[in-house]
Amino acid sequence: MTNSLWRQHVLPFTFLVGLLAAVTLAGDYLLHRLDLVWVGRYLGIPGTLLIMAALIYSLRKRKYIKTGNPKTLLTLHEFGTWIGASLVLIHAGIHFNAILPWLATVAMGVNAVSGMVGKLLLDRSRRHVQGQREHFQLRGLSRPDVEQAVFWDAVTLDAMTKWRKVHIPIFIVFATLALGHIISIFLFWSWS
Amino acid sequence: MSRILKLVLAANLIAIAMLAFTYPNLMVGPGKLIPGHKQLETDCFACHAPLLGASSERCVSCHKPAEIGRLTTTGQPVSKPLTSTPFHQKLTTQDCIACHSDHAGVKRFRPHRHFNHALLQKATLDQCQSCHKAPADALHRQISGNCSQCHNQNKWTPATFDHSKYFELDRDHNASCVTCHTGNDYSRYTCYGCHEHTPDNIRREHIEEGIRDFDNCAECHRNANERDIRGGGGERRGKHEGKRDRKGRDDDD
Repeated sequence: MTNSLWRQHVLPFTFLVGLLAAVTLAGDYLLHRLDLVWVGRYLGIPGTLLIMAALIYSLRKRKYIKTGNPKTLLTLHEFGTWIGASLVLIHAGIHFNAILPWLATVAMGVNAVSGMVGKLLLDRSRRHVQGQREHFQLRGLSRPDVEQAVFWDAVTLDAMTKWRKVHIPIFIVFATLALGHIISIFLFWSWS
Repeated sequence: MSRILKLVLAANLIAIAMLAFTYPNLMVGPGKLIPGHKQLETDCFACHAPLLGASSERCVSCHKPAEIGRLTTTGQPVSKPLTSTPFHQKLTTQDCIACHSDHAGVKRFRPHRHFNHALLQKATLDQCQSCHKAPADALHRQISGNCSQCHNQNKWTPATFDHSKYFELDRDHNASCVTCHTGNDYSRYTCYGCHEHTPDNIRREHIEEGIRDFDNCAECHRNANERDIRGGGGERRGKHEGKRDRKGRDDDD
């Protein structure tokens, strides 16, 4: 049991968070080493766009968007937010200037960690519904239909529902703070 | 999301928004302002135009270009000028932001945007001594003007001029600059500035060898070694061979 918890939850979670930190530090180091620190200033833009693109899954899940394979969109959500978060973290660097963007960065970090917790909960849910998959197959459903049924079961399990109650408010805080930062940049920054 | 949670979230975000408007320097300002602009800390739009960023027009509304480096914004003479000579009046364009970053966080990203001679008007560029004092060493005491012949405008040292590329100043030519370069014109030289070389001697020696074009001595003679003479092609040859080459070329002509 202990071994299973360690292998299935603690290790993967530590790996995902550690990799995010390592990528951020490596990116920051490379930019400084190559004298390309100014590039970091603009990494916030692709990072934000990736995070925004990843939201397509959330819209699809709530049926604001009717098309698109949910499984593919969830993968895009996981990778898009992870890569977007790493780009934004490199963008933030270690330069402490204004409070608002730093609050946004902290909120994004908490959001990213929360997202990784969600990913592990989803994996657990998927394992849980493995039995159901076999049951559906025994009932003679086609493979795509089984995958679809099991996917929605996995994302609507109780643990996921509880997690979502935490993840979404964190995202709202992050989105609002990030929006404040973006507005202030548009208001005061000279793009020329 | 529960109603209480929504209210708490909204209250916190409103509080942050209010703080951003009350303390913009702390909440959104990219680092401390320079000491001279400390009083503008909470008045972002004193320098920034909405959606366009900091604008030079707003800078010059306080800092009159004609007075920069001479008078303060209050009209008092500058007590400790940062440069020996005011130069803002001689810039090609009035783009303050190209060089100046008032926030500490922005300055960090613009180390390359320091003073650049390319920003000066053409007429000013040639007048180095209007801003720079010539070094008082033995070499520079002999020279006035024409700094660009040896120095570029990126940095003073190292001097970009390598005399050996044109002529080696060996022990036989350990002469002062003005012996060869008269009239402070270092783009020209004469070898007749010393008693060793006279026009008559040189003409006679070269005509004897069939060489008629001997005005540009350093084209063939790059040092005092009589066995190290270059033809027009730049290869080092012995004296005899060099002469033959020159003679042959003359014959071809």
